[in-house]
Amino acid sequence: MVNLKDFNWTLLLTWASLACIGLVAIYSATLGEVSEFLPEQIQENFMRQSIWFAIGLTVLAFIQFVPPRTFQLFAFPFYLFCIFLMILTIFVGVEVSGSQSWLRVGPFNLQPGELTKLATILAVASYLTGKRDASTGNLKTALVVVLLFAIPISLLFLQSEAGVALVYIGLLPIVLFWSGLPYAISLLMISPAIIAYFTIIDLRLGILAAVVIMTIIFFIQQKKWLSLSSLLLGILIVIGTEVALHQVLQPHQRARIEAFANPTVDPQGIGWNIIQSTTAIGSGGLYGKGFMQGTQTQLRFLPEQWTDFIFCVIGEEFGFIGASIVMLLYLILFIKLLLMANSHNHPFAQMVMVSAAGLYFVHFVISMGSTTGLVPIIGITLPFISYGGSALLTNTILLAICLNMDFYKRSFSIYR
Amino acid sequence: MTRNNKAKHSRTSLRILIGIVILIWFIITGRIFQLQILDYETYSPISRQNYIRQEFVSPARGLILDRNETILVENEPIYSITIIPSKFDMSKASLLADLLGTDQESLLERVREAQQYSWDRTSRLYTEVSFEVFSNIQENIWQLPGIGHTIESKRHYNQGIMASHAFGYLREASPEDHERSPQLRMGDKVGKSGLELVYEDYLRGELGTEYLRVNAYGQSLGSYNNGELNQPPRKGYDLITTLDAGLQRLTEQLFVGKTGGAVALDPRNGEILALVSSPQYDINRLAGRLDREYWQEINVDRNTPLYNRAISSRQPPGSTFKPFMGLFGLQVGLITPETVIHNPGYYYRGRQYRDEADIGDYDLERALTYSSNTYFFWMMDRIATRGYFNEWSRMMKDFGMGILNSVDLPHETAGLIPDSTYMNRTHGGERNWGVGDLMSLGVGQGLVSVSPLQMAVATSVIANGGYRVQPHLVRAVRDTEGNESYTNPNRERIDWIREDHLELVRTGMRRVVTEGSGRYYAFPDTSASGKTGTAQNPHGENHGWYIMYAPAENPEIAIAVLVENAGFGSQTAAPIASLMQEQYFTGGVNRDYLLNRVLNFQPAVEEEIVVEEE
Repeated sequence: MVNLKDFNWTLLLTWASLACIGLVAIYSATLGEVSEFLPEQIQENFMRQSIWFAIGLTVLAFIQFVPPRTFQLFAFPFYLFCIFLMILTIFVGVEVSGSQSWLRVGPFNLQPGELTKLATILAVASYLTGKRDASTGNLKTALVVVLLFAIPISLLFLQSEAGVALVYIGLLPIVLFWSGLPYAISLLMISPAIIAYFTIIDLRLGILAAVVIMTIIFFIQQKKWLSLSSLLLGILIVIGTEVALHQVLQPHQRARIEAFANPTVDPQGIGWNIIQSTTAIGSGGLYGKGFMQGTQTQLRFLPEQWTDFIFCVIGEEFGFIGASIVMLLYLILFIKLLLMANSHNHPFAQMVMVSAAGLYFVHFVISMGSTTGLVPIIGITLPFISYGGSALLTNTILLAICLNMDFYKRSFSIYR
Repeated sequence: MTRNNKAKHSRTSLRILIGIVILIWFIITGRIFQLQILDYETYSPISRQNYIRQEFVSPARGLILDRNETILVENEPIYSITIIPSKFDMSKASLLADLLGTDQESLLERVREAQQYSWDRTSRLYTEVSFEVFSNIQENIWQLPGIGHTIESKRHYNQGIMASHAFGYLREASPEDHERSPQLRMGDKVGKSGLELVYEDYLRGELGTEYLRVNAYGQSLGSYNNGELNQPPRKGYDLITTLDAGLQRLTEQLFVGKTGGAVALDPRNGEILALVSSPQYDINRLAGRLDREYWQEINVDRNTPLYNRAISSRQPPGSTFKPFMGLFGLQVGLITPETVIHNPGYYYRGRQYRDEADIGDYDLERALTYSSNTYFFWMMDRIATRGYFNEWSRMMKDFGMGILNSVDLPHETAGLIPDSTYMNRTHGGERNWGVGDLMSLGVGQGLVSVSPLQMAVATSVIANGGYRVQPHLVRAVRDTEGNESYTNPNRERIDWIREDHLELVRTGMRRVVTEGSGRYYAFPDTSASGKTGTAQNPHGENHGWYIMYAPAENPEIAIAVLVENAGFGSQTAAPIASLMQEQYFTGGVNRDYLLNRVLNFQPAVEEEIVVEEE
């Protein structure tokens, strides 16, 4: 009863487009004139990524033949396996650019931390849908979910991978929100991040954000104690952020955080990356400087331009038109995944699809925010585009699982 | 929750999620729109400034040529070896040290210094290496990553001529120079003396600009836009001087070991054929990077090699002053050609003024030929007592003595021809000076002081029929297209000088060479007229003077020679002038005995140095 028309070709095409744009950008960022300034190892990145793309495509196709129930069945063993790998990495891992998060497997360096994202999503979805009417509205259930997240997060901190840990922290509220956490509580949960963000820009904005959030919570839940405690929390966050910025943190650490709001304070130091990345994007203009013609890219003004700052390459060389195409592809990716979740009947599938969209979205927001100077620079990859085999493969497998469950949604009964 | 409720909850959650996604998506897209479309005009120039560096290209300095367009001063490349420390392979240090001919220790020391300046930018490792070392390194450059070179230039002096006081030296521009001319950059060299200083604006040329592509480390990646925007430097103008290379070279040789100065002029137009001051400094040693040790040395040298005696020296002209006295006396009627004065061996005015000439009767012509002092003491007595003093002063200045002659060199002295104002000032009023203070002026001693240049100008007046010419070293400046613009020196008839008076003085000077004190070393092939002089020197041996012009009938060259501490002018200065005359007219010197005599002459050493300042 398999009908190829049921397959979500749009999403596959979006995935392929993003990955191909990534390859073009990686090529330009490592094999143009810039190669003169790069170690040979980096110049092989394009070849390696191409191989990873081919592997990803194969794996994606292969996954379409797996019965959808398998993912749910093996979610926990897989999660445990990944956690084991992460612990292993701490002891026998390879250090690459300051973080102990790599495991050498044959010719490839793997990041178990990437694979664990997939495992965590599957495990959480499996846990939440394993018993009927499991909702994070229930405190015990919610705590189990938090625990499932907390294990990889703490392991990532042990590996000095705070950036990746942040993705889990960003994903957690989305998962809890989808699985039934009351809206007001969900908002309360993310309010510290929002309030702290505005406080860093301006103290008054932070207070304003706290008041707005309190008002929204009051309208949603109509509970005075909740609204008031949200306001209290908000003000504590504002004060805490201010104290942290001015009392606890060293001036250079503070500068790193505040730099995105005012990069010209230290243009050669902390502000350098922000100035260079916004300059790269801004100088691209409408049409861009052309493939391999970006001066910021080719003359090595950008740091990590094949991974964290890859959007600068696209923005500079392909301009607003190129950037808009990438933006539209991501929009299609997110909306399609969410709509796919909406049209599915099985809560496990829904949970995985929303989590996948959430994972990609958190990556997207932090990475794009960093390169365009909207948030402090946090080294994080852009899904499907940035160089990185483990990340590409993990993201692709996650998408492949979503495609699989969508493809088989009629035979993937909610009943066992 | 019922199933229905749950589905409803899901739909709401989905709407919220989609809403958040779209909201944030629009924020980011808006930010990209702001950066790329709205702020494009801001970021585009930043990115260009980021990778384009404007560099200035120094122009080649103008050449200095002699009157026959022989190159006297040109530019010579200086090769410097540079290093980019981050690219340098330390294991090649021993190879590089070998090529540079230095030991590895000191090389590594230099590399460390360069690292301290910058790891990624070019620093000079060794400056002014020889061409041989430079080419050895170029042959091995493929195995020396990070090593490069720069070529700058310094002055090179040709033809065995230093003419250090005519050409002058260059030094790094001072803060005042930078203020005066904004085009100068740090480390640029500008003329600090001589022609290099006076014609600095012509010689320097105009800076060129070059646009280079640079990467984030500041390394240069070659020319931007294939050099379309580059503005090549404009070479400085060449100076076509009036110097005669052969004459200048010989005169410099003749003065080796002597102190003094000589100036040879073309009396018809004031062109300086040779200008020498001795001792000279070694201009070659001031050409490259500053040799501090040598600079110190010449600054404290008691023979003051930086001092241009040819135009700055102030010495009494001695008897070379007499022809001009004669012209004055004739003009104001103190004497006539027939005036005869008896010389008893001295002139008496309050005391005896000695006269070395033979006892006997002297008219002007004879008084010049045999340099009788009595004749001129007698004349000065009348100048002083009959109120001609100020007129005398004014008219003597017409010859170019006691005034500036506007030569195109710095530090020219006016010398001194005193007048009553001067005497009042220095003696404290009219009553404190009198005839006795003026008597010695009549024979060019005492307060009268002149430079060799002034004597050459004054001699020219006699030679050219009464014209005061403006002495000058540069005839024309020539731009890069070959267009020449000529200097416009003055030439002015001194209206009071009469041809018959001149003729009389000329005859006297001619006879100096044929039968007087100048006869011993006269050059037989061209006629000359001259006058010897001896400046009394209270600090030591007297200074010898000789003025001359030749040919006597139709003068082409006027020469003034001063040799300090050399005794009688006829013994030292005259042979030098005679050899200069021979060189000028024959293009060489055949009288070896005379040449050797001059070269081997050792002047007396002065006991006490009198620092002469303007």
